[in-house]
Formats: sequence, structure tokens, C-alpha cells
Amino acid sequence: MDYPVYHIKNLHHDYGEETILSVDELTIHTNAITGLIGPNGSGKSTLLKLLSFVEKPKKGEIRFKGEPAVPFSAATRFKVSLLTQEPYLMKRSVYHNILYGLKIRNVAGDIDAKINEALNWVGLSGKDFFSRKWYELSGGETQRVALAARLVLKPEVLLMDEPTANVDTESSQLIRKAALKAREEWGTTLVIASHDREWLYDVSDHVLHLYQGKLIRSGLGNFFVGPFNSREDGLFEKKLPDGQHLILKKPIANLSSIAILPSELVKLDLMESALPGLASIKGIISKLLLEKPGRQILISVQIGDIQITSKLPLDTVKTNHLYPGRTVWVSFDPDKVIWG
Amino acid sequence: MEYIGNGFLKAILLLLHGDAETFSAIYATLKVSFYSMTASLVLGIPSGFLLGYVNFMGKHQVRLVVDTLLSLPTVFIGLMMYAFLSNRGPLGHMGLLFTLPGIAIGQTILALPIVIALSATAVEAMDYKLRTTLISLGANRMQILLSSLWEIRHGIFAAGLTAYGRVMTEVGISMMVGGNIKWHTRTITTAIALETGKGMFATGIALGLVLLLIAFSVNIMVSFFKKKLV
Repeated sequence: MDYPVYHIKNLHHDYGEETILSVDELTIHTNAITGLIGPNGSGKSTLLKLLSFVEKPKKGEIRFKGEPAVPFSAATRFKVSLLTQEPYLMKRSVYHNILYGLKIRNVAGDIDAKINEALNWVGLSGKDFFSRKWYELSGGETQRVALAARLVLKPEVLLMDEPTANVDTESSQLIRKAALKAREEWGTTLVIASHDREWLYDVSDHVLHLYQGKLIRSGLGNFFVGPFNSREDGLFEKKLPDGQHLILKKPIANLSSIAILPSELVKLDLMESALPGLASIKGIISKLLLEKPGRQILISVQIGDIQITSKLPLDTVKTNHLYPGRTVWVSFDPDKVIWG
Repeated sequence: MEYIGNGFLKAILLLLHGDAETFSAIYATLKVSFYSMTASLVLGIPSGFLLGYVNFMGKHQVRLVVDTLLSLPTVFIGLMMYAFLSNRGPLGHMGLLFTLPGIAIGQTILALPIVIALSATAVEAMDYKLRTTLISLGANRMQILLSSLWEIRHGIFAAGLTAYGRVMTEVGISMMVGGNIKWHTRTITTAIALETGKGMFATGIALGLVLLLIAFSVNIMVSFFKKKLV
């Protein structure tokens, strides 16, 4: 019987009295790419640490390929690897950092060739980097060496926590390419937490949204975190960074909660239009992306320093000339907003 | 001032001429310090690691005791050792009084808290991300312990050197437990105390310089290994 690589049930994790993560149920299938999205402190890193068996959940169970697993269990030790947001390189050369995992697995064969190949995957050459010390690397190189140290192990599951957050564009592209290559070559299951929504939507088979330690939605969505201010006319609003207001209709009990606007419900118009009494928001199309399944177009609209993503059929995009650089008006049916 | 100059000159002559009494004291010093340092490092490094790494009930109190023991006066250790090892003492039957192993035990009591406390401090200063990295790469518990010790090797070296410094320079334990017996338990420091007491300042200075020379040689060796292990 084919079990999913992960099956989580009634997972609860806390540090002291503060609940960090609470997931009722989650299944991650073999060979899939799962994206994790959520604001800082939403529990992404904790979920990745639990999935990598670095920490044990306070309550609940994580099954790995059908079997309950805990840190150091034989079933997972050599199969799952985590690349943290700020990876730590041991105080030794690049060569010995990458060698470490191979040594504890007693891997035989041409070790130098394996290490060189892993470095090549992340755009570095063994000739230049084998003898480099940990302190002789830039931030991007450190991240790439750390990824090479994991790729050389050919893990069944690779968990990546903001792998491109603190690196330059070139390193970022190489890291993304290497991770996807691992999936293609060895069928590695990838779980990636990132703030780069476009990239995650582009590469992931499914995207999970975390907020305050809970899985609130899977799929494409726009998240607006409170507080929301009540207005005299009974509506609620959130002031956007550029001064415009996001106006919401549905009354909410907790004004500090989160409003989720599914991308397929976001309308884009070339002229201002909105439902009576509700203003639309002006923005500029910054990016178009072909959605992986379904062949729909994901359109990113920049409003100040936030982005709203809309999902539209290709024909609509063509007909309305919705191309990057165009000014558009974003509107939506406020009754369809989901409150988290 | 002349006797200070004479001291330097005499130190060189003592070493060059292979003065038997001086070399006996050097031998005794090296032997007891080797015993005590081996015992302190073997017991102290794992204990320091556990104290710095593992959270257990009473950890704070244990740390407080260890830190307090850093200030143990050597004469007090010597006194207590004498009380325990003398014929009337509970360990008198072991016959360790006025022996080099007796001195080594006393020096271990002196050095152990230093190794534990400084190793624990090095472990506490260790980057928490190291543990996550090691587990991510597939390390088991023993490999985490060994790799973590390797990561803090400079801190461990510092702990060992500090302890060695105290062991080499202490007088109280060697004098009270060893009895400063010529050709037998006389160490460099007790010899210095004796020579100075007799008014033989030059010989005292010479022996002091020999002690410094040994410390210098040990530091050169450690420095060499540290460079090799970067």
C-alpha cells in the first residue's frame, strides 16, 4: 500500500504557554512540492522542524510513510533533511561540511566526485571551494554550500525554510533550480516555506497558508492581517500602505483577525468600478505567471508595497490587455471574503 | 638587583648542566600535572558538556556550586586532602599521603571545576543552529555530542589551558599532600618555596623560569594543534 510521505493528525506544539502550531490534519504526498505561506510567526519554521524530526511535537502524531516517527528514528534519520533559513556551517572547510553527512552514512565510492557534483548543482566548483573555510564564504555561498551538503545525501524529503530570503538574485535562482532538479532526478519530496508567493505558486503542487499556527487555507489567496477599523457607515476598513483603503462589508467579531481573499474572486478592471458603496483599489500589474495546473494566469498587482494576486483565464487577460505596467482597479465581492 | 640577573643565569646553567635535583622536580611536576590534567579533562569535558547542553532540575544550583569551586584555595584543598589521607583520616589506609598520586588527586580537585565551568560556558555559547544542522544531516545523539565538542574545540582548549595554568603553579596541595620530599614529591613550586625560604633567591628564580619555560612549551604545542585543527 502506498502511504503518503507525511500524515499529521492532531498536532500541537508550544513553547511554554504559547501555542506555536496546531494542525488537525495534514497529508503530504510523495514526490509533491508543497509550499508554505504565512506571515512571520505563523508557524512555518516550527512545522518544518517537526517535519524534519529535529523537534518532537508536544502532542499529536507525525506518520512518515505510514509509520509513527520521532527524532532520531531509523526510518527517517537518513531520509529527511532540513535547510534552515540561516544555515549553519560547521567550523571546517566546505569539503568537510559536505562530507559530514556522507561520512555518517558510510557512503563509499568516489567521494570527491560526489561532493564536486553537489557543488556544481548549486553553481559552485569544487576546485575553487573544496578548501574554503566557513568564514570565507558570502551569505549566498553559505546558503548554497548548505544546500549542497543536503543534496549530496539525495534525501527523500527536502524541507527548505525561506531558502532564498537572504541571498542575492543569482544565488536565489541557483537554489531554486537545484531544489527542483532534486525532485526531477530522485523524486525528492519538497516542502518549501517562502515569502516569495509567485515562486511558490509557480512550482508548488499545492500551497498551504498558515496563520497564527493554524492551517487556514490551501490554494491561492490574498491575506490581510488586522487590525481592521470600524467605520461610521457600519463597514470595516484596513488602511493600505499607500493610503488607499480596503473596505470590507461583513461584520467581524474580532477586529484583529485576518481577512482572506481568494485570488479567483479578485476582479481586475481598467476603469474604476466596484459594488455600490465599496471602493475599488488602484494598482499596477507587476507580474504575470502561468499557473501550473489549470493553465490560468496569475496576475500580481502592486499596491504600494503590498501585492494582490488575481487568477484569471488566459482569454480574459488577452481581451482586457492585462499586461505588466498597466494601471488596474481591483475589486471583489466582500461577502465572499473569508475571515480567519 | 644582582640576584635577579644571577637567577636568569643560574636557570640556564641548571638546565644546560642537567642538574639532577632540578630535573627530579621537573619530572615530578610533569608527572603529577599529567595525571591530574588527564583526570580533569576526561571527567570535566563530558560533565561540562552536560551542564551546558542539557536542561535538568537543579541545573542552576549545580552551576552555582561549580562556579564557587573555581575559587577553591589550594591550601584548603591541601588541608582537606591531608585530613582525609593521613593515618587518622578515612582514606589513610590507601597510603596516598606524601605520594605523587596523592598530589595528583588534589590537583584534580583543583582543576576539575575549571574544566567543567569553562566547557559548560563554551557549550552555552554554541550556536543552537548547530544541533538542528547535525540532526538534519542524519547525526545520532553520540555524533551530535562529538561534533558539538569539535565545534567548540577552541573553548575546550582554553578550559584545559586555564586548568593547566592553575595546576602547574599551585603550591598548597603539593606542599601539604606531597610534603616536599627531595627526589620524591618535590615539585618545582615547592622547590621554589623552599629555596626562597632558605634565602636562595637565585635558585628560586631559576626554578621559576624553568616553570615558565614549561608553560611556554605547552602553549606553543597547543597553539600548533589549534592551527592544525582550524
